[in-house]
Amino acid sequence: MHDDYFDFVEQLYDTDQITAKPRALEGLRVLDLSHMIFGPTAARVLAQYGAEVIKVELPFTGDYWRSSTYWGKYWKHSNPLWNFINHSKYFVAIDVKEPRGREMILQLAEKSDVVIENFSPGTVEAWGIGYSTLSAKNPKIVYASCSTFGQYGPFRYFPGWDLLAQGASGMLSATGYEGTDQYFKIPDFYGDFCPGLYSAMMIVMGRNDRARKGKGQYMDICQAEILMRALPHFSYFKSMGEDIGRTGGHDPAMSPSGIFKAAQGAFVALAIASDAQFQGLCSAMEKPELGQDSRFSKALDRLKPENAAAIEQLVAQWVSGLAVDGLMSLAQTHGFPAAPVRDDLEISEERWRQERGNVVVFDDPMYGKLKLESTTVRLSATPARIQWLTRPLGYHNRYIFKSLLGLSEDRIRELEKARVVGYWDYRVGQRPPVYYDIENDPIFNYQDGNNG
Amino acid sequence: MADKEKVYSRYVRKVGTSDRLAQWGRMLGGMMSADGKPEALDDIMVLDLSYANYAGLIAAGLLAEAGAEVIKVEPAGGDPARVVTPFGVHKNETGITFAAESRNKRHVMLDFGEASDREKLGRLMAKADIIIETYAPGEMDALGLGYRQLRELNPGLIYVAMTPYGHTGTRARTHGRIPWSDLTSQAESGLCAILGDLPDAPEPMNWPTRAGFHAAGYAVAVEAVAGTLAALLFKRLNGKGQMIDVATSDAYSSCVGFPPTIGHLWKRPRPRYGTLDYGLCPYGFFKCKDGYVAIACFRDQDFRAALKILGKWDLEEEWRHLIDRITDNVDKVRGLNKEIEAAVAGFTYDEIFGKFSRYSIKAAGSKWRGGGLPVTTKMLTAEEVFKVDHWKARKTFTDVKEHNFGVLTLPVAGKMSETPLRVKWIKTELGADNDYVFEKYLKN
Repeated sequence: MHDDYFDFVEQLYDTDQITAKPRALEGLRVLDLSHMIFGPTAARVLAQYGAEVIKVELPFTGDYWRSSTYWGKYWKHSNPLWNFINHSKYFVAIDVKEPRGREMILQLAEKSDVVIENFSPGTVEAWGIGYSTLSAKNPKIVYASCSTFGQYGPFRYFPGWDLLAQGASGMLSATGYEGTDQYFKIPDFYGDFCPGLYSAMMIVMGRNDRARKGKGQYMDICQAEILMRALPHFSYFKSMGEDIGRTGGHDPAMSPSGIFKAAQGAFVALAIASDAQFQGLCSAMEKPELGQDSRFSKALDRLKPENAAAIEQLVAQWVSGLAVDGLMSLAQTHGFPAAPVRDDLEISEERWRQERGNVVVFDDPMYGKLKLESTTVRLSATPARIQWLTRPLGYHNRYIFKSLLGLSEDRIRELEKARVVGYWDYRVGQRPPVYYDIENDPIFNYQDGNNG
Repeated sequence: MADKEKVYSRYVRKVGTSDRLAQWGRMLGGMMSADGKPEALDDIMVLDLSYANYAGLIAAGLLAEAGAEVIKVEPAGGDPARVVTPFGVHKNETGITFAAESRNKRHVMLDFGEASDREKLGRLMAKADIIIETYAPGEMDALGLGYRQLRELNPGLIYVAMTPYGHTGTRARTHGRIPWSDLTSQAESGLCAILGDLPDAPEPMNWPTRAGFHAAGYAVAVEAVAGTLAALLFKRLNGKGQMIDVATSDAYSSCVGFPPTIGHLWKRPRPRYGTLDYGLCPYGFFKCKDGYVAIACFRDQDFRAALKILGKWDLEEEWRHLIDRITDNVDKVRGLNKEIEAAVAGFTYDEIFGKFSRYSIKAAGSKWRGGGLPVTTKMLTAEEVFKVDHWKARKTFTDVKEHNFGVLTLPVAGKMSETPLRVKWIKTELGADNDYVFEKYLKN
């Protein structure tokens, strides 16, 4: 290897240059009508790449996830976990059920490139803000309807979310130990977040197509189907006539593989794909004879359940005497996959994640410093970035209504009085932190030259 | 289902909405087939240089489903991902998962040790719009085929590198030669630590465990493709390519986002919670007479509804408020969870589903908003999912001919009205498309 390769890449990714670089989705306007995690995550991915995302919530109610958190732990009168889902967005509160509110949403949508919603299927159509209404006014719109079971089919109106989608898709049945009653769901709303990423992928696909053909389109994005796409279990069942079943910490497609206890009770994962990796493991174990053993030397033999069990027993013994750092240095020297089992605290503290900008400490004018995940997908010329954390309900009303819809201060006051638009009530997660001087905030009290 | 469609939303049932709903229904009907429709990315050429790496293999597969010409380039001997297959099940040394991720791809074999083949690879790379590669950081550069060299030849190139620790940061140097696996990505990115039974359960059930599928590889592939397509749009509008560096050891935390914020604010890691939830109780799947059924109560009214239906109203007083049911004290909520377990065990799935859905439909139509929306579903295996009419009506699964397995059945996710995703073919023979690719791209 050329020694200067890493210098070249580090320069390409110079973190001091991030704010000076352009953004990939600059100029893309997104109307985010969604709530909870699935839809908002799609919009957040677009925001991190520079899209102008306007999140519309119900006045005095807001997104239910504003006041949710784990274990009742709040931070500065807000849900700290909500920042990852909704950073860098504009927050407006408009009541869609008021005719004037619906009109405002349609006006915003006409000026947008993308609409994202995740109400139960049919709801936006019933409200008159669905694709059939909007595409007539704005044929360039990419309209993403996100739901658990899709917009079509006998089960479509059935409500759902992460947990139900994991159960209905077959995903839940894959994790745990054979013969037990415990099927572990993938935690932290993976069944919402992963489909949220997939939706962002589809939306940008649609925007690429529009760049070629000038036309938008409608997307029926079904959460349960996106989880199915992750499972080899369907192809396996159809070809083999049986389910893969549950195999605990062992990956039946890799051998040896598993989660093992190393010295001092630390857990490590190890999984071997290729024969070259296996030879590397054998030299690390100082057991070259295993590399010659006909049960183990070829992957397809090593994967047979009885052979996998035999080699894993030897690996477990070997690992039990090793410190984590020692194992990792052997993995680097001999070229086989190994990793420590990292927990929340380690992930928040490990230096390499912060060096890359995967994990950032963001200093926000309203909330101060918070450590949060950015993204592990690093674009060298148009890097993702966090522009601000979340904001109270209706914080950007004046800014968006004046600058985008051209409404006057008087008109906004009238809409406020009629409760067509609104702000927070006193619930945690909706209101600003008590120490914050919202009355003198220039964005919240936005004035522009034309409208005062 | 012969019954009238079950509608839960009060808005959808409102008088005066039927015209719009009918128009929408006609459009959806037109979306159910991809026949004759164009593809979103059929002007794009992608080189899939993934090696023993499903994150890369899946990412290239997602682009292929959208119509990109994806050419999988394997070195002599083939990609070891071919033999990453459950229990070693294979046909002609090709595993099922590799075949499934070969959707719509072309297959080229080049011997990287041969100067003439390296030259061919370089010429292909010079014509590519997107390259996905998973070799150790610096390895392609040492061959003279890394981003540093290619960006001179092909300034619009989007070069996606997917490795456990990325090409930047200290770990790229100290751990860069450690190969990828899904299990190690799950472990390193914070998933395994919170998967498994409660700390006081017997060993090894209380150990960290793995998600039983490519949970890390799939999530990071999807996230990488979202970023890649953002870069592709930027290139279409500005002409400029770039490098995309993905560290797969951050796959899970980059997907769900919670681990670093929780670690930072709580100053301690979460213990494993078994089948309990980190938010609320009851929230999970419970064993009933004939399977496992979801009981998930977000709001107080959902909890009250579930208690009434399950005949456990006596629990209401002690557990009335959401704040009582948050799971910060695991010993406290285990009591409630056990009560729900015992109650659910007395019903069949159909009994619970019937009661829940009758209650929800009535509550959604009521003027009183406190009725709750108890919602449930059954845990299904792959075999059971195939039998569900809903997925048949949606044509979720596609059957594709493949010469080793005969027919492969795959789910295709996400419906697009103008440029539907689709699986057109699957072939897996090593080097099958050498002639086609060399003729098309290297003739002059």
